[in-house]
Amino acid sequence: MQHKVFCAMLLSAVLAPVPGAAQIRASELGGVSQTIDGTRISIQYSRPQSRGRDTLFGRGDRKWGHTWTPGANWATTFETSKAVTLNQRAVPKGKYSVWMQLNSATSWTMILDPEPRVYHMDPPDSNAKQIRFPVTVQAGAFTDVLTWSMPTLRIDGGTLQFAWERARVDVQLEVEPSLTMTFPAAEAAAYVGVYNYVAFVAGKPMLPLRFTITHEDNTLKGQYFPDDPYLKKFALIRIAPDWFAPGVYDKSGRIYEVMRPEETWEFTQSNGRVTTFLVRSDSDVIIGKATRKP
Amino acid sequence: MSLTRRTFVLTSAAGIISVTAPWRMWRLVRLSDHPAPRRGITGAKVMTAAQLAKHPKLVSLFDSVRKLPHIMDGIRCNCGCGNPPSMYSLLSCYEVASPMALDCAVCQGQARLAARLHAEGSSLDQIRKAVDAKFG
Repeated sequence: MQHKVFCAMLLSAVLAPVPGAAQIRASELGGVSQTIDGTRISIQYSRPQSRGRDTLFGRGDRKWGHTWTPGANWATTFETSKAVTLNQRAVPKGKYSVWMQLNSATSWTMILDPEPRVYHMDPPDSNAKQIRFPVTVQAGAFTDVLTWSMPTLRIDGGTLQFAWERARVDVQLEVEPSLTMTFPAAEAAAYVGVYNYVAFVAGKPMLPLRFTITHEDNTLKGQYFPDDPYLKKFALIRIAPDWFAPGVYDKSGRIYEVMRPEETWEFTQSNGRVTTFLVRSDSDVIIGKATRKP
Repeated sequence: MSLTRRTFVLTSAAGIISVTAPWRMWRLVRLSDHPAPRRGITGAKVMTAAQLAKHPKLVSLFDSVRKLPHIMDGIRCNCGCGNPPSMYSLLSCYEVASPMALDCAVCQGQARLAARLHAEGSSLDQIRKAVDAKFG
């Protein structure tokens, strides 16, 4: 009899309808996530609102000198799938609770604590495992709902931004690059030169073009003549020995796209000098062939 | 047969483990760089020309994969299409059960590259490095 009662209780516990997940919170859960060059970054946080309050900092649990989680309820968390830097401070892969030590209206200390699951009323004491760095608080437009965002992005990082009330904090985030954009001058000599390039469209050869490879600003660069309107002068970024992918520059001279796996440039050397190269698509189809001009 | 508390608890635990084990195994595989080709693996489950009637342009690609199971089964698929537990390797993307390669340019490109490099005499390790360089 006993085991029947036990089984019935266990089954009823397992099968009983779960109370509805819908709950109305003063500070609803939110989040922001971003992948940069293969590094996944996410911030999860509860989003308090000003609810008509004009001044939120310097009073209550946000008095100057207090440590506060930039969120509500359970502490805001910062998670990264690979090592990054925040304002040039190394942050190993992992999940952290985020805290701000509110030193003054213009200067806070950002704290990442290795214990991610902490309630907002229990800020951790300072300890050696924490990552702490100063951040500058800027005055901005009034933000009603506490917001974390990544308003600017580059191929190697971006700006992580906190905003609430009139306080805005920008934190510079950098990821570990998966590719090296620069190319040593000593190795570049084998590639630099003028080539006769033939593009293939649906397997048919197009009219030959002139193609040059130069070494500028410590980078191997390629350019078609006449100019390719999208690629213009582009970086050749090494992905394997004698394999390269094109890196496209924006107007400010920063690479904003690496065309991998869309194009793989495969060079063949003879006597320490490139003689030919092939360009293959992501389907491994040859879309270009070139031979060095004498 | 009466169900004792011990039997119930043990049966439940076994059930939970059996449901989650494949996923745990997959996580282990993903932690290493590339999967090890399974002993005795064949291309028998790779879709055939008859099964590819609506995709005639892919027949030769699927045929090349079927001929190289020992290579394709040793390569990780980098397409990131969700990696369900049934996907062990690039070979899985071409099998009847989960033919992701029908629509996935990365699955197709990886296999084309692997087949070409194999034909050119590259080893499995060399092919893996090339696949990672281009698609990783």
